[in-house]
Amino acid sequence: MAVLQMKRINICALKKDRKPVLELLQRRGVVEVDSVLPEDSVFSRTDTSANRSVFQKNITAAASALEILNQYAPEKKSMLASLEGRGLKTGRDYDAFAKKYDAVMETVYQITALSRSIAESKSEIAKLEGQLEALQPWLGLDLSMRFKGTSRTRTFIGTLPGGMDLEAVLTGLAQQNPELPPVHAEIVSSSQNQTCVFVLCHKDGAEQVEEALRSIGFAQPSNPTKHSPAQRKQELDERIARAQSEIEQAEKTIISFADQREDIQFTIDYFTMRSEKYEVISELAQSKRAFILTGYILAKKADDLKTELENRFDLSVELSDCDPSVDPPVVLENNAFSAPVEGVLESFGLPGRGEVDPCSVMSVFYYVLFGLMLSDAAYGLLMVIGCGFALLKFKNMESGMRKTLQMFFYCGISTAFWGFMFGSFFGDLVGVVATTFFGRPDIALRPIWFEPVKEPMRMLVFSMLMGIIHLFAGLAMKAYQYARQKAWLDILYDVGFWYMLLAGLIVFALSNQMFVGILQLNFILPTLAGTIGIAVAGVGAVGILLTAGRESRSPFKRLLKGAYGLYGVTGYLSDILSYSRLLALGLATGVIATVVNSMGSMLGGGVVGAIVFILVFFIGHTLNLAINLLGAYVHTNRLQFVEFFGKFYEGGGRAFRPFAVHTQYYNIKEDF
Amino acid sequence: MNNLGIIFALAGAIISALVAGIGSAKAVGMCGEAAAGVCSDDPSKFGKVLILQLLPGTQGIYGLLIAFITLSQIGILGGSADLSWQKGLLYFLGCLPMAIVGYLSAIKQGKAAISGISLVAKRPDQSSKAIIFAAMVETYAILALLVSILAVSGIGGLNI
Repeated sequence: MAVLQMKRINICALKKDRKPVLELLQRRGVVEVDSVLPEDSVFSRTDTSANRSVFQKNITAAASALEILNQYAPEKKSMLASLEGRGLKTGRDYDAFAKKYDAVMETVYQITALSRSIAESKSEIAKLEGQLEALQPWLGLDLSMRFKGTSRTRTFIGTLPGGMDLEAVLTGLAQQNPELPPVHAEIVSSSQNQTCVFVLCHKDGAEQVEEALRSIGFAQPSNPTKHSPAQRKQELDERIARAQSEIEQAEKTIISFADQREDIQFTIDYFTMRSEKYEVISELAQSKRAFILTGYILAKKADDLKTELENRFDLSVELSDCDPSVDPPVVLENNAFSAPVEGVLESFGLPGRGEVDPCSVMSVFYYVLFGLMLSDAAYGLLMVIGCGFALLKFKNMESGMRKTLQMFFYCGISTAFWGFMFGSFFGDLVGVVATTFFGRPDIALRPIWFEPVKEPMRMLVFSMLMGIIHLFAGLAMKAYQYARQKAWLDILYDVGFWYMLLAGLIVFALSNQMFVGILQLNFILPTLAGTIGIAVAGVGAVGILLTAGRESRSPFKRLLKGAYGLYGVTGYLSDILSYSRLLALGLATGVIATVVNSMGSMLGGGVVGAIVFILVFFIGHTLNLAINLLGAYVHTNRLQFVEFFGKFYEGGGRAFRPFAVHTQYYNIKEDF
Repeated sequence: MNNLGIIFALAGAIISALVAGIGSAKAVGMCGEAAAGVCSDDPSKFGKVLILQLLPGTQGIYGLLIAFITLSQIGILGGSADLSWQKGLLYFLGCLPMAIVGYLSAIKQGKAAISGISLVAKRPDQSSKAIIFAAMVETYAILALLVSILAVSGIGGLNI
């Protein structure tokens, strides 16, 4: 349970060592580099944005090539691949890759070019198919569509609007010009929209015929073919086939690059690392022959790094404590039991100045509250088995994913525990199965403690008790924070008085006949205890009234602020009531599970009944588990964030972002 | 008149499942539209917006819960259904908090969740805050659920 100590580090080294020094720092990943030194006549910063944009371009190219490759040669991945984590590469691989990446980039560009040519061929095919379709009505014509006639004759090849037969064409022409010279017409094809015709006449009457044709809507085809349509069709078919085979060829070539997938992935990582390194270079203060690197380092790693650097290079490392006026970046460290909830804390905010890392206290409450909300032994065991299996099987999992699974593992243990306490195993599964299929209504899973469905009031009181413990723990955390700052009086003012007020009120309530009656408690405190309780509460209230506004100078304002502070007691009331969600969500899980079981058992025993039961069981309980897992997760977070953190924690710390290897596909393993 | 009790009680059970369910269906539907919009832009946010979409779905479940408890209390699910009209009316009243608050809080929670979805669209790292904003609304549904549970499970012991 701690926020790790930070130190400032200054490294002054020779420029010739810049590359190895930075690569060492990057692989160690314990230094966050910043640029606090001002530029002067000797030391200045270099702008590396040009280099970085080249790296970024390479990353983008490689990523798009990878995407193309995955499209044509999909990577075989199992369902659980996301749990497997990244592959491993050694530092030696990284160094060797410096000679190799040109060749890989060659492949990358080749893949991109091939994909472009595939796209071009595809659009070519679409174009050719369009032409082929336009040619379709002309296939009956065995002449070139540009044929104009012989030395004595004139031909007209074109379309007429609408569907017509030969007679209609000839009558149409005759109507336009009764003295039309003799013509020979043929219908090439006719459809609803257009009729393709071939008309032949003597050269002398050509003009009259043309005029008559035009007036009934004759039009020449928009792109007449040079050869006969059939020949043209063959030509187009050939070109389509050629384009298709080009596509196939290109696809085959792309697929043949599948064995280079790893290299392409590593290229992306390689350039990501180099880009990050150049970002750091731009932060360095550099002179002609030397450079200075400043930043934060984890205090416990500082000496090791210093020794390692000094042994390997000629340089000077200076370590110093952090400037107390500046907030250092935050890294959390917790034991295996508490570390899993770090992710939840991070999503709220890391500890800010003067705040402690609440993970260890929070983790206990987190697991307990989660278990109370889900509270079904079978669901808990399923979580434990699922998470435990994944954690054992995939050793190389990303740390964020590992922590989440560990968190649900512990939550599962707690869920199973509370499930047995409250006698819920897939709801009332044991009883239902025993009654329906074995005719033994006497068998059921008895609760170790009590059944919330039967005694909701008891569960409500228990939920509120959990709430009071949780809130008091929050106040205790506040006291602990004050103690670390040695603000002893503040502990009394902001924590002590509240403890007195709240505890006093609770004791008083427990000695009150009516209140005890409402809660159906089976004990009552003596009146004397109630009197003492109300007296203590009174002292606390007066204390809060006088001290809650202590930072104000004017006494009137002080009193007003104090009164407002005292009004905060209503906040505690609603906070405690808020824990009734433990009852509500716990009941929701149990009752829905019971509904599922009773729906499944509606057809009674026997084979059909059993089949229906199994079906309903699987669907119903999967759904119930999913919904209530989500509910328990969200509401546990809420109780932590709003009720618990509200008492002492604001967050606002800045996460430590060390100069390290932030790769997408491979982890770089230490090997030197 | 003999059957009036059971009619009142059944009406209560049905109205709590019905009204709270309608509220959740509306709210989850609205959130689904917003979530689909976000996914059209960036499918990788699916998991985060899905959680937000599901948040206002719990009111419908609470309504079902009350309906189920009422049904088993009045003996429709196994047992004898013999109820005075006063008791039936009490069951009806006991179901009302869940029905009304469930409906309204589902709609309002849906709106908070939609805003949360647009927050996630812009800043995916802030999704847990968006969840908390929407989950705040649910407190009141939970309180209503609590009152309904206590009322419905207490009525059986009354002597009227």
